[in-house]
Formats: sequence, C-alpha cells, structure tokens
Amino acid sequence: MIPPIVMDLIKIKKLIISLSIFLAIVLAGLIGPIVYPVNPVVMTGPIEQPPSSKYPLGTDRWGRDVLAQLLHGIRNSLSIGLTAAAISLAIGVTIGVVSGFKGGITENSLMLLTDVVYALPSILLMMLIAAYLEERNPFLVSIVIGVTSWPWVARAVRSQILSLKTREFIDMSRMAGLGDLRIMFEDLLPNMASYIFMAFVLLMSGAMIAEAGLSMIGLGVTRGISLGIILYWAQLLEAVRRALWWWFIPPGVCLVALATSLLLLSTALDEYFSPRLRGE
Amino acid sequence: MNPFVKFLSRRAGFLVLTFITFIFIIFLLPRAIPGNPLSTLLSQLFQRAQQNPELIKAVYRQLMEEFGIGKPLHVQFFEFISRTFTGDLGTSISAYPRKVADLVFSYLPWTLGLLIPATLTSWIIGNLLGALAAYKRKTIVDNALLPVFLTLSQTPYYWLAMILLFIFAVVFKVFPIGGAYTTGRIPALTLEFALDFLHHYTLPFLSITLSAMGGWAIGMRVMAIYELRADYVSYADSLGLPDSKILRYVFRNSMLPQITGLALNFGSILGGSLITEVVFSYPGTGFLIFTSLSRLDYPMIQGTFVLLISTLLLANFIVDIAYALIDPRIKTGYTGG
Repeated sequence: MIPPIVMDLIKIKKLIISLSIFLAIVLAGLIGPIVYPVNPVVMTGPIEQPPSSKYPLGTDRWGRDVLAQLLHGIRNSLSIGLTAAAISLAIGVTIGVVSGFKGGITENSLMLLTDVVYALPSILLMMLIAAYLEERNPFLVSIVIGVTSWPWVARAVRSQILSLKTREFIDMSRMAGLGDLRIMFEDLLPNMASYIFMAFVLLMSGAMIAEAGLSMIGLGVTRGISLGIILYWAQLLEAVRRALWWWFIPPGVCLVALATSLLLLSTALDEYFSPRLRGE
Repeated sequence: MNPFVKFLSRRAGFLVLTFITFIFIIFLLPRAIPGNPLSTLLSQLFQRAQQNPELIKAVYRQLMEEFGIGKPLHVQFFEFISRTFTGDLGTSISAYPRKVADLVFSYLPWTLGLLIPATLTSWIIGNLLGALAAYKRKTIVDNALLPVFLTLSQTPYYWLAMILLFIFAVVFKVFPIGGAYTTGRIPALTLEFALDFLHHYTLPFLSITLSAMGGWAIGMRVMAIYELRADYVSYADSLGLPDSKILRYVFRNSMLPQITGLALNFGSILGGSLITEVVFSYPGTGFLIFTSLSRLDYPMIQGTFVLLISTLLLANFIVDIAYALIDPRIKTGYTGG
C-alpha cells in the first residue's frame, strides 16, 4: 500500500520537476565518476581543447578533463552542502527549541545571541574566518559555512515552538511527568518535521552557493575540486576573456540548477503544507 | 522616558553590542586558530628578508607592535578595540608603510557606488514585478515570471557576471572586459570620463541588479498574494472601488516587510557584489580583499572587513529607525498603544 500522502505529493507538478532535476544532478555526481573514470586533477590531454568526442566538455589550462572535474565537483559541492546544512540545522534547531520551550532568561540570552549573529552578514563572516585558515579541507569549509548560517533557522524554529507548546498534547506529556528534554525532542520536534525538512533544503542550497562564493574570492578548499573551485580557476586564468566557454558555463549551470531545484522543492512543500498559498 | 527615545536607545545598545562582538571575533581569529596565521606570515617575511632587510625589519616591528605580540591577551584586546574606535586599522604589509584605513577608504566609494544603486534598482523593479505576478496569478504572466524569479534568485552574481561578460564583452564587443574606467585615464569630472565610467559600470551593475531582483520579486509575490486575500480587499471590492486603487493599498501594505528585508539583505548583496568586483577587476573593496589574500596582508583584510561591517551595521540601524517611523504597527509597539 502506498500511503495517501505520497499519492498527494506525486500530483504536485513543481515537486516532480524539482526532484527530477535535483536527482539527475545528484546521480551525475554519484555515478558519473564511476561511468566516466577520468582523473580530474591529472593532465590527460592537450591544453584548452574545446569539447570533442574525446573530451566531451573540453580541457582546461593544464589539459585536465573538464567533464571529469565537473562530475567530481558536483559530488564534493553536494557533500559540502549536506555537511554545512546539517551543522547549521543542528545549531539552529537546538537554539530554537530550547529558547522557545524554556523561556525566561535562557530564551532572552539565546535570542540575543541569535540576533547578534543574524545582524552580521554570514557571507562576510565566512570570508573572514576562512581567510585565517591556511589549509582548508572540505570539512573545514563546511564548518565555516555551517557555524555562520544558522540564525534564521533558530528564529523560525523558536516561533514554531512558541505556538506548538500551548497545545493540549504538551500538557498531557507534562501531566504524565515527562522531562523537558523528552517533551522537546519527542513531542515538539516531530510535529515540525516538515518544516525542519524545508529549512534543511534551503540551508543546503545556500551552503552550495556560499561554497562557490568563498572559492571565487580565493577562500575555498585548498586541495581538491568543487563547482566553485572550477569557476575560480576559470576566472583566474581568464577563461571568459579568451572565450573558453566550456570551462565556466557548465559548473555554473549545475550550481544554479541544483540551487534552483532545491528552492523549488521547498516552495512546493511549503504550498502543500500551508494551503493558504496554494490558493483556489 | 519618551517611548521613541527608549526604542532608539535599545536599538543603539544592540548596535554597539553587535559591533563589539564583531570586533571580538576579528580579534580572536588570528590568535585562536591553530597553526597561527601570523607566524606563517612572519616566517614568510623572514624568507624575503634577503631582498630588502631594512624594510622587512620595519614591517616586522610594526606587526609585533600592532598585534601586541608578547603582551597579555586582555591588554591586546583593549588596545585593539581603542585603536579601532579611533579609526586606526593598522598598517598594510603589501603596501608598507601606507595605513590600512586610507587604502580601504580609497576603494570603498567604488564598492558603495556599485552596491547602493544596484540594490535600490533591484528592490524597486523586483517589488513591482513581484506584485504584478501576484495580481496576475494563474495567468501566463505569473507562470512565465515565476520560474525566471526563482532561477535569478539562485544565480550567483559573479557567475551571471561571467556570462554577461562573455556575451557582451567577448562575443559582441559592446562593453569593456573589466575595470572601472579605461586604463591610463585619470578620474575627473568631465563628460568624457563620465561616459567612459558608465560604459564600464553597465555590466557589473546589471549582474548585481538582475541576480538580486529575483529574491525581492519572490518575496513580494508571496506577500501580495496573502494581502490580496485580506478582508479589506474584498470589502473594498464590494464597495466598488476601482482595481487600481485597491492595488495601491495592497502594494503599500506588502511593501512594509520588504523594507525590513532591504536591511537584512544588504549584507548578502554586499558579499555577492564583492565577488563580482573580482570578476570585473573593479577597483572596489572586494578586489582589495582578493589581492590582499594572495599576499597574506592580514591587517589589510582585517581592516577592510571592519570598515565594511561597520558601514553595514550603521545602514541597518538607520533603516530600522526609518521603518519604525513609517510603520504604525511598530509605532504602537513603542508607544504602547
């Protein structure tokens, strides 16, 4: 038996379109390097070749295969996006749930912290932190993105909790003598699962764009490849001026398609869960 | 106390708190990060010492002095904060002995000159198009506009910049490939220079405006859809008020949250436009950060961020206050009804 919610979701056109685009690119990143086993960082051909049957997306300044770079880049950008989003979500949800549920001085101090971090633009904070890190591996870049991107999640989760905690089932749990932690994580959180999933999706697309931005200004991963790193080298070696379009168009298209499909996915879910937006 | 003064002082207190937190982060970073970036910088200086020993020694002494190396941490912090508040941001390493503040101030106008007009233009056009899409809901207009908004809002400014540059400067040579004016020209208030400047300005301006526009339009569209379903709209409709008049009300009411959005998004637009400067070799602070990074000029990087973030926090403070003056609901909040 297929649960009815799945049947409902399948009918949403936006959801189907966004999921197909997203999954297609994810598959390219996961399976691509196996199907197309070319080393992305080794010179395998003549330099700056336009696309041909031998090099489907051409080669770069050092004769490295751009398609191979792209496939590995998608994979690494996705993993940075996932890790960073998980970190942000963990911080944001914890602060949001605890401050919304506890109230009082805990709430005030946590919200003050959130507001202060919120007031400082995350992309500038990321650049600043990354500038002082000499060796930046993908995990470190994820942390830098993760620890600066959570404030809006904390705020949003808190306001959800504020409205949820006055519901009757919470009183029941209290009467049953459940502890705060159990109420927070067993009663309150599951009730906002859809909301948290949407936040995760948005965090992930934001993190992938942030990674590319950091790379472009010279603060991305110091070794290895990502969509942003491909763009960085293309920019540094003047691919645009010399019309080497195969070098900078594909990574950007993948990045925009990934981020847009994730945004569309969260919009579709949002419309599904809050019927006011669907509008009849 | 006058409620407005109270509101004002609360906001001002928050501004100071945020600024001090930020200064603390800036202070802590080079000192707390393992592998100590400063020592890397110093050893790099020593390696170059053979070329120009006197200069390197002077730079070295300056660095020791400015970072207060050897002094207790709290002394370092108070020295740092008092220097920052008096506008002393240290001395550049790559352009020794020039002061960081002077250098950043010479780059800042280019950044602001790009950022402010582009942000405001994108805000106005984005809001208008978003309201139009909401009004024309379920028609071809909305169905065509929405995907464009969504895609634009997720397009990094700098990548759009690369695409525009490729189309309009490389394929069709309509606009120059980079810079803020033709190399060799001296900025002056002449018509000729102004035209040259605008010629270079168009593409960077367009890339920031177009990418930023998508987000505003999406926000406005959602806001206006909610608003169009409000009771007062059906009431006004039943009274027989003309559509144009109702739309004006709807637009004005949906506009208010977008003003707060303007303050909140200044930061991310600034971040995006800094990277766009790199693509165009535009002589703003983004380009300055980019070049300072490759030379490990930490005082310069630090100083640039201090000035950028101070400007931003101040701008947000002003928008906050202006918003409170405009929105009657907030006014009731601080006058207590």
